[in-house]
Amino acid sequence: MPEALTGGGAAPALPVVASPLDSGAGAKPHPSEWRALLVTALILLAGVALGAAGFIVERTMSTWRPEVTRTAIGWRVVQTHRAPLCGMALGGGDLVWGCGPSVVLMDLGSSRLKLLGPGPESRTTWDPAASQRYVVWFEAAATSAGEASAWVYDSSTRRRRQLATVGDVLSLPSASGDRAVWCTTTPGGGPEIVAVDIPTGEQISVATEYGVPVIDGDIVTWPTRAGPTGMPATWALVDLSQGSRWSLVPAATLPNARFLGYDLSGRTLVWGQIDPASGRGRVVAQNVDDGLASIVAEVTDGAALASAPAIDGALVVWAETAATAGGSRVMGRRLGGGPAFLVRDVDGRVLSTAVSGDTVAWLARRGQMTSIETAQVPG
Amino acid sequence: MTAWTRRRTPLLGAFGMRVLFWLLVELWILNVADLLLTRYSLSLGFATESNGVMDYFFKSGTVQAVAFKLGIVTVGTLLLWRLCRYRTSLIAAALLTAVFAAVVAYQALWVLSF
Repeated sequence: MPEALTGGGAAPALPVVASPLDSGAGAKPHPSEWRALLVTALILLAGVALGAAGFIVERTMSTWRPEVTRTAIGWRVVQTHRAPLCGMALGGGDLVWGCGPSVVLMDLGSSRLKLLGPGPESRTTWDPAASQRYVVWFEAAATSAGEASAWVYDSSTRRRRQLATVGDVLSLPSASGDRAVWCTTTPGGGPEIVAVDIPTGEQISVATEYGVPVIDGDIVTWPTRAGPTGMPATWALVDLSQGSRWSLVPAATLPNARFLGYDLSGRTLVWGQIDPASGRGRVVAQNVDDGLASIVAEVTDGAALASAPAIDGALVVWAETAATAGGSRVMGRRLGGGPAFLVRDVDGRVLSTAVSGDTVAWLARRGQMTSIETAQVPG
Repeated sequence: MTAWTRRRTPLLGAFGMRVLFWLLVELWILNVADLLLTRYSLSLGFATESNGVMDYFFKSGTVQAVAFKLGIVTVGTLLLWRLCRYRTSLIAAALLTAVFAAVVAYQALWVLSF
């Protein structure tokens, strides 16, 4: 005969428990009520401690988090793991960079760090671009996936969202104001430079050709028909507000010069070039409307131009290797007034510079260690 | 009669039932906190819902997600209270509360650090 699983017999009577809610208004809780609350609070605290410990362990084990220290003139960010810092950009009050597969943002006011990417479904990112409000970057499941997605972080709303799906990544993004540009492949497989309105995600085809575009305001530019030294034959320029396109021949070029890179601000284009034979380097600024060029800096006498120049407003910054071995210096000059000035002597080799307003940043390497420093330039 | 049928689930006393009651109240409040923090984290675009069922409801809409999450935990807490005379329900409630507290603490710290 099957037996009852309860073991038989009548179920024991429930102990009489007064509900903690029906003790009556004004009545003091029974001491056992406090003990019960204390026990539940201890269980709650144990859970909270477990969650907090998990959070701290995860932060400690993260490989993207650098060491950040305040300096007399700004911030110093030093890599703490094997992945070097790269792809540094300045936008508004934020500094962004790549570190291995991570895209990291630092608030220059508080030094608070945020991991912007990659998302949970991505393993690969490309160097980010920053405007005053937005950070734009590409993510993909793998570099060979053939399909990436553009992501944007809005620093005013602190939200991250997918901006667009792109084909092959043919250039890094560039961002200015509410727009971003990049070069990707069309559904037919050909290259295309596209501009994207960040708030709406609306895409505009700028040109159906290959180029590494840079945007500032309404102007998009990219070098065309580069020779073996990388020096462009012309600059292609597109005004997005007027839909016009024109080209500009680079002026003040050095013979057989190697092209270092370029930047655009307002209607001024700057680029760097270096003559490998003589070691002579030159930073040139050229007006995109009339083509008038001026030499911003001439680097000679044992020093060498170390990085492409960056420009924001009238302030141009660049890096030179010092005549003495092992050192570099970050230099600046305001267009239309005054000589070049020293921003900072750097122990190591400067890989890139960036400028936003009166804030200058540079990415440097010393041995296996990379670091980013920022400085405020007197206005 | 086999040995296992002779065993009885230990019964809960009056004090244990008081603890159970407050644990279930905490569990329900933590569930609401988890819901709010998850919704906020998802809206920031940095977090993903790793619970497949909740992910389905969040993708269906906020109202559906709220209804499901509050509904399922309310049913669960009522069920545990219905079984309040068994010590197992107290152990289950304690474990669930601790786990929920850990999840909510982790999420709260993540949101604060962001």
